[in-house]
Amino acid sequence: MFITFALITLLGALAMLLQKNVIVAGLCMVATFFGVAGLFVLLGNPVAAALQIIVYTGAIMVLVLFVIMMLNSHEEEKAESPRPIQRWVSLALVAALAVGSVKLVLASPGVKALNLQGAALPQATTLQKVGAALFADHLLGFEVAGLLLLAAMIGAVALTKRNL
Amino acid sequence: MSGMDAILQGGLQGYLVVALLLFAIGLATVLLRRTLLMQFMGVELMLNAANVALLAFARFRGGDTQAMVFYLFIIAVAACEAAVGLALVIGLYRHRDTTDSDRAASLKQ
Repeated sequence: MFITFALITLLGALAMLLQKNVIVAGLCMVATFFGVAGLFVLLGNPVAAALQIIVYTGAIMVLVLFVIMMLNSHEEEKAESPRPIQRWVSLALVAALAVGSVKLVLASPGVKALNLQGAALPQATTLQKVGAALFADHLLGFEVAGLLLLAAMIGAVALTKRNL
Repeated sequence: MSGMDAILQGGLQGYLVVALLLFAIGLATVLLRRTLLMQFMGVELMLNAANVALLAFARFRGGDTQAMVFYLFIIAVAACEAAVGLALVIGLYRHRDTTDSDRAASLKQ
């Protein structure tokens, strides 16, 4: 099960990176988000999986697809300058970062110990536990997040409206 | 072979490897693609990779609810970022008639 969802996630992301058409890339991104939601279910966290689908696929990706269609920018524009050196250097750096960090994680004794001891622990995260933690210990943060969302909403309207 | 087993069976290492590769692909998207909307999707991918790692660690520490609270804050901030970022892309398109980040190199018109 894990390997299925991991493959959906990674292949979706890779297809998004290589896709020329921006709309198809957005749809590959949706596949990636569903894969990540499946991983969250396997982690015993159905709340996070539901939020992932509702917020990322339901809200953010729909917004992105709307903007792509509104601006009519389905294809990447022709490059002003090809910049081959920067592209290859950045690709090499990203590959080095990926290989190095994966090696580091696989070699780490701390991660191995946490894996062994964590497999035995009870894991289910329920909405009830999350709600209690959120409203008992982090009420101020919750209110600030609401204020931040309001500010972002007003900012987005102010930026897109031609003349207020 | 225990490391390979942990990856294939969905141990902590497997989730962390998926998160790291997802982050690398997101970073590559931001660096290699020029369309601002694609770069924006790369940023979302990197945020998602961080979420996968966070919730994997939470699961292997015994279903820590603190991580879920942080996850909620992260997606609240991601939603704000999406709204403001896309508004900026639309603003750029109005002024320059382009969504290419290379063509938006100067602040002046």
